[in-house]
Amino acid sequence: MGKKWHQRIKSILTEGLQIPADVMMDLPRVTMIGTLHIYIENHKGLLSFTDKEIRVLLQQGQMLIKGSDFVMKAILPEELLVEGKIEQVLYIDQ
Amino acid sequence: MRNNWLLYFTGFVQVIAEGTGSERMLNDCTRLGIVTINVKRLENGAISFFIRLKDVQALRKVVRKHECKCTFHQRIGFPFLLKKSWRNFGFVIGIVLFIAITFLLSNMIWHIEIKGASPKTEHLIQKELDKIGIKRGTFQFLTSSNQTVQNRLMSQIDDITWIGVKLKGTTYSLEVAEKKKEQKSKVEGPRHLVAAKEAVIAKMYVEKGQPLVDVHDFVRKGQILVSGVVGEGDKIRKVAADGEILGETWYISTVEVPLQTTFQLFSGKSVTKHFLSFRSFSLPIWGMFRNDESEYPQYAVERDERPLKFLKWDLPVNYKKETIRETETFHRKYSVDEAKRQAIAAGKNDLIRKLGKDVKIVGEKVLHEDVENGKVRLKIHFQVIENIVKIKRVQGD
Repeated sequence: MGKKWHQRIKSILTEGLQIPADVMMDLPRVTMIGTLHIYIENHKGLLSFTDKEIRVLLQQGQMLIKGSDFVMKAILPEELLVEGKIEQVLYIDQ
Repeated sequence: MRNNWLLYFTGFVQVIAEGTGSERMLNDCTRLGIVTINVKRLENGAISFFIRLKDVQALRKVVRKHECKCTFHQRIGFPFLLKKSWRNFGFVIGIVLFIAITFLLSNMIWHIEIKGASPKTEHLIQKELDKIGIKRGTFQFLTSSNQTVQNRLMSQIDDITWIGVKLKGTTYSLEVAEKKKEQKSKVEGPRHLVAAKEAVIAKMYVEKGQPLVDVHDFVRKGQILVSGVVGEGDKIRKVAADGEILGETWYISTVEVPLQTTFQLFSGKSVTKHFLSFRSFSLPIWGMFRNDESEYPQYAVERDERPLKFLKWDLPVNYKKETIRETETFHRKYSVDEAKRQAIAAGKNDLIRKLGKDVKIVGEKVLHEDVENGKVRLKIHFQVIENIVKIKRVQGD
């Protein structure tokens, strides 16, 4: 109950004061450069990793990236930079 | 996002992790602040990634808690390069020695070149240079400056009128202009002796010729003293007159001597410091712990700066020598009488310098004196005995 109330306040603040959603609501910010790079900020960890598929844990749910020749250029506590040929980006809600 | 070349300096290591749970291990790493770079899945299912050299210990701790096995592979970066070169120690020493020796040799004097001097003068110059310490194999920056060498050579060796000192690479190049030996103006054949200036004849010694004047005679400039035409009537002969005639001449000079003078004298105490300087920064290398110039109440600093060379290039680093000498202020006070005496002496010196050493000053008389603005000004009349002979060819020859 309390959590929902919290969420609602945050939504109101985001819409009313126009504060970016990723700052306020702890959402991931994903930047893609064509199909070459994908840059994920605010991730919560790596779930699985092969050169065709990457699964990243988010605050809410997971993110699934499909493609080929994946190399993770850097893994930092809150950032992730993946290089390769990206075909699909999927959000999986839990 | 990141600077890979910076990583190159700190060094990084390739890790290959085999076994299950490698993703969890990666997460653990990130949580502990270990940055993983270039994470790749290999064909056999293992993952390969790079970590910074300083994170290796932390990674070992993380690995212990997981099931996967880690092995280290490629080692890239400056620290490893250093280690590798340490293994080739001899080679590195060789390079360093080579540079050091080239540097030392570039800063030596290898050849002393003396141009325009006769063998005798050349030998004299060589000997003088030896005394100053300039010879083959001495360091250029330890020798005294070109200006000092020039002054010293010019004052020590009489036969040269001018000497140019230049440093060309490792060659010390001296250009000499020798004094032309004054050739006696020998006028062959019949000649007269005439007076060079107005004078009263003081002494005569005639070897050859017909004297036309006598002692105590007043002669004008150009007047014939000893004629080269001898004999009378049809026995006239023309000879080369020869002899020595001294005449008394007069000079008037004005001399000024201040009654009070302040000098700076060196007390003889000095400190020498050596520096390596780069632009405005100088690094003391010798003598910095010697007693400081601040101990001297008054001092004068003499600076000598030389560029260091490497092969033919001047390095931006200079060798600097500072000599700090203690000075003393000295006040000199003359009474009017003393000042007058000094003025007369100075006037005499001046005259002798002007006329040469073989003149004799036989008398002086103060014509006029006044004391003005702390200065004594004298007008002095000097009587001088000097050779007044000038040679002149007999006309109609």
